[in-house]
Amino acid sequence: MDILYLLIPLSVLLVFVIIGVFWWALQSGQFDNIEREGERVLRGD
Amino acid sequence: MNKALAVPPVGPSPESLPAGEPVDDVFGAHRGPLTVTDDFTVLDDPVEQQEFTTYEPAAEASPGEAGVAQSVLLVQGMYCAACADTVECALQDLPGVESARVHAATRRLTLRWDPAQARLSDLAQAVGRTGYRLLPLQQALSISERLRETRMALWRLFVAGFCNMQVMMYAWPAYVAKPGEMPADLEQLLRWASWILSVPVVTFASGPFFRNAWRDLRLGHVGMDTPVSIGILVTFLVSTAATFDPSGPWGHEVWFDSLTMFVFFLLGGRYLEHKARDRTAGALDTLMNRLPEVCDRQAAEGRFETVSVRRLSVGDVVRVSAGQAFPGDGAILSDSATVDEALLTGESHPVTRSAGESVVAGSFNLAGPVLMRVDRLGRDTRFAQIVALMEKASTDKPRLAVLADRIAAPFLVIVLLSALFAGWYWWQIDHSKALAVAVAVLIVTCPCALSLATPAAMLTSAGALARRGTLVRRLQAFESLAGIDAVVFDKTGTLTHDRLELESVRAREGWTSAMVLSLAAELAQGSLHPVSRGIVAAAKLANPMEGAPSALGDCRELAGQGLQALRADGTVVRLGSASFCGLAADTANETPKAYLADADGWLATFELREGVREDARATVAALHDLGVQTWLLSGDRQAAAERVGREVGVGAVIAGATPERKLAELEALQAKGRRVAMVGDGLNDGPVLARAHTSFALGHAAALAQAQSDYIIQGGRLMDVVLTLRQARSTMRIVRQNLVWAALYNAVSIPMALVGWMPPWLAGLGMAGSSLLVIGNALRLAGSTRARA
Repeated sequence: MDILYLLIPLSVLLVFVIIGVFWWALQSGQFDNIEREGERVLRGD
Repeated sequence: MNKALAVPPVGPSPESLPAGEPVDDVFGAHRGPLTVTDDFTVLDDPVEQQEFTTYEPAAEASPGEAGVAQSVLLVQGMYCAACADTVECALQDLPGVESARVHAATRRLTLRWDPAQARLSDLAQAVGRTGYRLLPLQQALSISERLRETRMALWRLFVAGFCNMQVMMYAWPAYVAKPGEMPADLEQLLRWASWILSVPVVTFASGPFFRNAWRDLRLGHVGMDTPVSIGILVTFLVSTAATFDPSGPWGHEVWFDSLTMFVFFLLGGRYLEHKARDRTAGALDTLMNRLPEVCDRQAAEGRFETVSVRRLSVGDVVRVSAGQAFPGDGAILSDSATVDEALLTGESHPVTRSAGESVVAGSFNLAGPVLMRVDRLGRDTRFAQIVALMEKASTDKPRLAVLADRIAAPFLVIVLLSALFAGWYWWQIDHSKALAVAVAVLIVTCPCALSLATPAAMLTSAGALARRGTLVRRLQAFESLAGIDAVVFDKTGTLTHDRLELESVRAREGWTSAMVLSLAAELAQGSLHPVSRGIVAAAKLANPMEGAPSALGDCRELAGQGLQALRADGTVVRLGSASFCGLAADTANETPKAYLADADGWLATFELREGVREDARATVAALHDLGVQTWLLSGDRQAAAERVGREVGVGAVIAGATPERKLAELEALQAKGRRVAMVGDGLNDGPVLARAHTSFALGHAAALAQAQSDYIIQGGRLMDVVLTLRQARSTMRIVRQNLVWAALYNAVSIPMALVGWMPPWLAGLGMAGSSLLVIGNALRLAGSTRARA
């Protein structure tokens, strides 16, 4: 049970890390055109 | 806009610009993609202004002044109908502003202002002080701005969603643990963790709600986001107090899970709404964003240089490569070009244009590079007229929307009061429930569904019709059209083509009609007279094999009389009026005739008639199927009108009508309680078109700005009348569904929240769901014209 006192604060930290990663992905344009991959089959090359 | 558009004596003279810099340097930085700096000077650049502003010449009384300018701008930071009011109020009282209208669903502002008294940048700054931003439309539609908005929305949504997920997990033990089962310090730790993750949700993700509510508060309004913001703040503060002081006056209940969840739902609703609105606007955008930014202009010495379209001038020769759109209206200089004029017709058929023929701006060159001479540019092109028409329609407020907007504000005040009352009432019964009930009431109300119901549906329909080549001048026209039960057609140019068709041929003994026809066609092939073209077309139809070399020489056309030529044996053949051919006119009936004569006298008589449009009969039949009666109202002779009427199957024919008589007939129909739609060519029957409940103009000859009608059918298909009627009926059905849904939703959910049957998270879901349902229902209209076409 005592491990919870470590894991819960850790999970809070992890949430912030994940939010940070998502921010990076968003700003680098990975979500700007999510249809692109689906349309790739229609392209010649 | 019935007045001609004039090139402006632009408002702020160069002297009024920052001193010391030549004009071009001030604006030079804005060439290429626009960037709007906070001082909005770009709005004053005369070259850029052409993109979103039209000028009307001054009234005759004051010839010295610049007249009135009309600009269409995009308002950033707008969420609801109340915002539209705020912007309008901010502008209304400024000097130089004649009128300002904001359309909530498209966030577009139509501003009429006097360039002599005001500068656009000052007006934009005044709006900026109320917390909104005015952007030139071109810029706002450009990718970077929209991208930033979408990214930010997605970012907020993710923060709210992810924190919400984690807060749920921390909340779970508290729900399942029996009293005393969980150590108090562990429970406290979970609360702290929930609090930490709620902070970004409240301070960052809920930002737009607070910003809007604060702005409304400062301006003394109640907006859509006011109740939501109060709900978020109160929940957060009470839960925070309970976390850090469990024995305090606020009890020890925490609501972090509900709080993060309804913020997530509300943001999710906003995000999807934003996407849907982009799609609605997208139908207009695909129409408007067709013109290329740059093109290849031929310089004096023959080489090509790439210049901005805004720097082109009339008379320039440009090269348009395959796949590019023509930058202006003009004439083809190359041998031929294959173009796609879906812009006008709604159908992507390749059309061939040979040298000297005209092409319109915004249509696409499909094959090979083509040289063209630019005849009309910018505001003068047909494309710009279409865009201006659509812009104007999209800022139009239909009657039902105005009504909904008027209800929204008092409705919100009532909501705030009832939340207060519910909180006070429950406080006396059950402390722990009072907060949840009050917050649920604040969150669950959805006036946005009410105010979006009408414009969302009508705009989607207008966009869908525009893609088929039918333009809607006023959104209100959907309501008028849906209710009609009679359609009155004009004859010439509406039910019939402008061109003539061959009806019968009589020939001299020994000649077959095919022989006289081919002889006449040989004579007529160089002529542009409608009779000649009718004969040539009939000959081609009878004998599609071309190539017999002409045996005639010295072919001449005598204007107003006919054609004559010399045969190989030296005798003269003539085609034309009776007197020209030296014959007595045949007066048996009044159809147009042409005579053929040679040295021996009469050879043949050709009777012609107006050709009925191919789809006229089907259109009239389809209208009858829809329960609509039809009339033919014509200024032509009784016999001709009746023949067309019979051929088309129209219900009743009124012939020989002068314009006054037409108006009187229309008024008589209306007096009998009929709701009448008039279909004409948009030019000749102005008063009649204007008097009818709603009206269609057919054909692309009419200058768009001068056409009097509510609907303009550019494709020249009569069947589009039926299609538009069906679309209008389904539009009004969707509008009614939306209004009923919005009213029912609010009528049911608010009492439920008041009696405490609705937890805050369900309230958030309900509100987001109800606006989405309204928008989604409206979007069904986008595909409906295609399915029926």
